Amino acid sequence: MLLEVRDLHVEFRTRDGVARAVNGVSCQVAAGETLAVLGESGSGKSVTAQAVLGILDMPPGRITAGEVFFRGRDLLKLKEDERRRVRGAELAMIFQDALSALNPVLSVGDQLGEMFVVHRGMSKRDARARAVELMERVRIPGAAQRVRDYPHQFSGGMRQRIMIAMALALEPALVIADEPTTALDVTVQAQVMDLLAELQRAYTMGLVLITHDLGVVADVADRIAVMYAGRIVESAPVHALYKAPAHPYTRGLLDSIPRLDRKGRELYAIKGLPPNLMRIPSGCAFHPRCPMARDVCRTDEPPLHAVDEDRGSACHFWRECLDG
Amino acid sequence: MPEQHEPDGAVSAAGMGGAMDLAAAEAATLERTPGGPGGAGPRGRPRSLWSDAWRDLRRNPVFLGSALVILFLVLISLWPSLITSGNPLTCDLAKAQEGSQPGHPFGFDGQGCDVYTRTVYGARASVTVGVCATLGVAVLGSVLGGLAGFFGGLGDAVLSRLTDVFFAIPVVLGGLVLLSVVTSNTVWPVVGFMVLLGWPQISRIARGAVITARQNDYVQAARALGASPARILLRHIAPNAVAPVIVVATIALGTYIALEATLSYLGVGLKPPSVSWGIDISAASPYIRNAPHALLWPSGALAITVLAFIMLGDAVRDALDPRLR
Amino acid sequence: MAEPILEVSGLVKHYPLTRGILFKKQTGAVKAVDGVDFTLAKGETLGLVGESGCGKSTVARLLCNLERPTAGSIRFKGEEITRLSGRALKAVRRNIQMVFQDPYTSLNPRMTVGDIIGEPFEIHPEAAPRGDRRRRVRELLDVVGLDPEYVNRYPHQFSGGQRQRIGIARGLALRPEIIVADEPVSALDVSVQAQVINLLERLQAEFDLSYVFIAHDLSIVRHIADRVGVMYLGRIVETGSDTQIYDHPTHPYTQALLSAVPVPDPAAREHRERIILTGEVPSPTDIPSGCRFRTRCWKARERCALEVPALAVPEAFRHTSGPAAHDSACHFAEEKQVVPVEEHGNGPG
Repeated sequence: MLLEVRDLHVEFRTRDGVARAVNGVSCQVAAGETLAVLGESGSGKSVTAQAVLGILDMPPGRITAGEVFFRGRDLLKLKEDERRRVRGAELAMIFQDALSALNPVLSVGDQLGEMFVVHRGMSKRDARARAVELMERVRIPGAAQRVRDYPHQFSGGMRQRIMIAMALALEPALVIADEPTTALDVTVQAQVMDLLAELQRAYTMGLVLITHDLGVVADVADRIAVMYAGRIVESAPVHALYKAPAHPYTRGLLDSIPRLDRKGRELYAIKGLPPNLMRIPSGCAFHPRCPMARDVCRTDEPPLHAVDEDRGSACHFWRECLDG
Repeated sequence: MPEQHEPDGAVSAAGMGGAMDLAAAEAATLERTPGGPGGAGPRGRPRSLWSDAWRDLRRNPVFLGSALVILFLVLISLWPSLITSGNPLTCDLAKAQEGSQPGHPFGFDGQGCDVYTRTVYGARASVTVGVCATLGVAVLGSVLGGLAGFFGGLGDAVLSRLTDVFFAIPVVLGGLVLLSVVTSNTVWPVVGFMVLLGWPQISRIARGAVITARQNDYVQAARALGASPARILLRHIAPNAVAPVIVVATIALGTYIALEATLSYLGVGLKPPSVSWGIDISAASPYIRNAPHALLWPSGALAITVLAFIMLGDAVRDALDPRLR
Repeated sequence: MAEPILEVSGLVKHYPLTRGILFKKQTGAVKAVDGVDFTLAKGETLGLVGESGCGKSTVARLLCNLERPTAGSIRFKGEEITRLSGRALKAVRRNIQMVFQDPYTSLNPRMTVGDIIGEPFEIHPEAAPRGDRRRRVRELLDVVGLDPEYVNRYPHQFSGGQRQRIGIARGLALRPEIIVADEPVSALDVSVQAQVINLLERLQAEFDLSYVFIAHDLSIVRHIADRVGVMYLGRIVETGSDTQIYDHPTHPYTQALLSAVPVPDPAAREHRERIILTGEVPSPTDIPSGCRFRTRCWKARERCALEVPALAVPEAFRHTSGPAAHDSACHFAEEKQVVPVEEHGNGPG
C-alpha cells in the first residue's frame, strides 16, 4: 500500500472553541489508483490532505491522533527536514488556485527548474532544459519560448497545467490534488482532467482527488471516500457507489444534483445545513438531516460497517439504504 | 411592543432602557447559534448598525474609560479654573526648576512658573488644535477622497494629482513660510495650516476604501433597486469605508498636537503669553537633566490625551463591525 | 409562446481601453457583448450558458440597467428601457431585479437582515405603506424559508445558502416580474444548491416570475430553464428549447461544451465521446473575423473566416420540423448526440 492513513484526528483551536475538523479518518491508496475524497465545505477533506502532506497550519491546527504511513514510514513521526525531502520528491500537491500557488515574481521556468536544482542538485542550465521538457509534457504550446513568462501571462487552464507540471516534476509516487479544476471552465476542466489521468497512467502514480463535484469523480476515480463532518461515511469502488449508495448522505448528494441527460422534476434537497464543527451532533453526525434517522442514530455513533470486502458505510441502516 | 417610528437612530435606542437590554440579551444567546433552531426570540424593535454599535459601546470599558478622559479634558479646556486657582502667567524666577512642594504638586519650570497650572491651562490650546485639526482633516479628506473614489473620472484624476503635490510639501518648511506671515496669536491659523496640509493623507485613504467598498455586489444590488447615489454613499459605502479613516485620524491627532509644539518651538505657532503643552514641552526639553518634572507633566498629559483618542477610535471602529460582536 | 415580457435586440457593450492619466486616448475596446438578441416570455425561464468571459454576466448587468449598452435595445413590455433616467428608470427597476452570485459580497455586512430586505421599501416608499414594512419583511423571510425572527441579525451570522435566500428575499420585495439570476448557486455546496434551486422554482410558480438564469453549469440550466441560449465571445451561438439544445445540438461549440460536462455516472465514461477543444478562447479585444468560434472549431473552412454565420435555423434543417430545426449560428451545422442517453434508473428520490 502506497499511502495508509489510520484514525487521523485534527482539531483547530479558535477563539470560540475547538473545531473538530477531522475525526478518525482511515483510508488507503495503492500505486496507480485514484481515490476521490468527496465532501462539501467543512467536511474535513482539505484538512485531511494538509495533515497528510504536513502543510497544516499548526497552530491553530493540531493533529491529536493518527498515523500516516507513506511507503512504510509514518510521516507524522518524521522530522520536518526529512518530511520536506519526501514532500515534492515523492509526495506532491496540486492546488485549486494556481495563480496564488505560483510565485508571481518568478518566471515559470525558474519555478519549475528550482525543483530540479533543490532536489536533484542540477545546474541551472540543465534545470531550465528539464523545465521546457515538462511544459511540453503538459502540452503548453510554444514551451521553449514561454518558459521565461510569468504566471500572470498564462490563462487559468495553462497555469493549472504548470501546477501539474510542477507536481509531477520529480515523478512522485503520490499526488494529492485539491479541487484541481474547480476554478476552470468546463471545456478547460475536461482538458486538464484528461491530462492528469493520462500522466497518472504513464507514471503509475497514486492520485488522491479532493473534490465536491460528483461528475468529476465519476469520470476519473477508482474508489470514493465520502466525507461528512470530519469522518468518512462511505467508502466504495466508484461503480458500486453510484449504482447503489450505502449511506443516506451519499444518496442525498446523488439525488440532489441536476442531471445533464434528463430534465428532472423537483430536486431532492437534503434538509438543513452541514454541522458546525464546534458542535457536531451526537451519535451519527448526519442524523439531524437524515430521512432515515431513528433513535439509535441520535445516541450511537455508527462504526464503518463492512458492506462488502472493499466497501464500507457508517450508517446503522446501511442495508435499508442499499435497498433504496 | 408595536412601534411605527424610524428603526434607526442611536438616541432612541439609548432611551429604551431595560426592555431593550432584555431583548438584546436574549438575542445575544440566539446569535451564538446561527442556523440553529431560532424563532423563540421576543419581538424586539428592529435594530440597525447604529443602535447596535451604541449598545455595544455602552458596555465597552475601553470606550467608557477613554470617553471619560476626553470629557475631563474638554471640561478643563473650557473651565481650567475648575481644578486650579493659580495663574499660568504668574511666574517667579527665584523658584525656577524647583521640584514638588505643598500647593505646587508638579513643581516649577525653567521660568519659575507652576507646572500644574500651566499643564491645566495648556489643555485648551493643545486639545483644540488636536481635535479641530483632526476633525477638519477627517471631514475635508473623507469628503473629497470619498467623492473622488465614488464618482471617479476627471475629478478623481485631478484630485489624485493634487494630493501628490501636497505630499511633496515639507510640513515644517511649509509652516515656517505660511505661518510667519500670520500675526494672530490664536490656534486657528495653526489649525488651518494643519488641515491644509493634512487632508491629502485622509483623502487618499478614504478614496481607496471607497473604491474597495464600491466594487461589492451589495452596491450593485442597491443600484439595481434604484437607490440614489447619496443613499448608496451614506448607507452602503460610508459605513464600510469609515474604519481606516477613523484609525488614521485618531493616530494623526497626536501628531497634530506634537506638530503644534514644533511650530511653537520654531516661533511660528502659538507665541507666549499663550499656553500650550507644546510650548511647555519644547521650553522644558533643554533642562531635562535638571528639571525632568517640567517636561514630564505636559508630556504625560499629551500622551494620555493621544491614547484616549486612539482607544476611542478603536472602540468605535470595532463597534461598527458586526463581525466582531 | 406567451406574450414576450422582455425583448432584447442587437445588444452591444464595448468597454473602451484607454491610455493616459488625465487625457485619455482610446486604444481599443473589450467587446464583452457583441450583438445579442433574445426574448423572454411571461413565466418563462431563459437559461444563458457559457464559459467565463463570454459576456453572460455583462448581459445580466445590462438587463438590470447597471450599465448602459453601447448599442441595441431592451424592451420591457414594449417599452424601451435602455435610455431611461430619473423617475422612469426607477419605476422600471421595480420590475427587473437581480440575484447575485456571491452571497458574501452581495449583502452589506453592516446592515441587519431587516434593513437589507426592507431597503427596497425605503427606496420605493409607494411599494408598501410605512407601517406595513416590518410585516412585509418578516413575510419575505418566511417566503424564502428563513425564520422571521432573524431580522436583527447580520449577514455574517448566516451560511452561504441562507445568505442567498436573503438576497432572493431582497430581490422579491418589490414584486418584480423578472428576476435576473447571475450564477445564483455556483458558490454554494451541492446539498444547499438543490435547496436554492427548488426555492427559485417554487417562487416562480407562486409569484408568476420570469427568470433570466445565467450559469456556467449546464446541468443546472437544463434543470431549471425552458429555453437555453449558449453564449460564446459576446454572442449567442445557439438557442432553443432545453431538448433542442441538450439532446439535438447543432452548433459545434454547444456540442463541445456538452461533451465536456462530467456526468455523475461512472458507467457512462467508457462509451462517451469527448470533444476536447484545442486552443484558448480568443481575447474579446480581438475577435476573429467571420465566425468567432472558427479558431477552435474542428469543422472550420474558408467560408467561416469570411462570412459571419447568422443566428437562424440552419439551411440543412430549414425544411424539417424535428428538434434539430432551431437557431444555430453555424455554416456547417449538423446534429450530433453528445449527452449520453441512459435508462432512467435511479430517478430522484
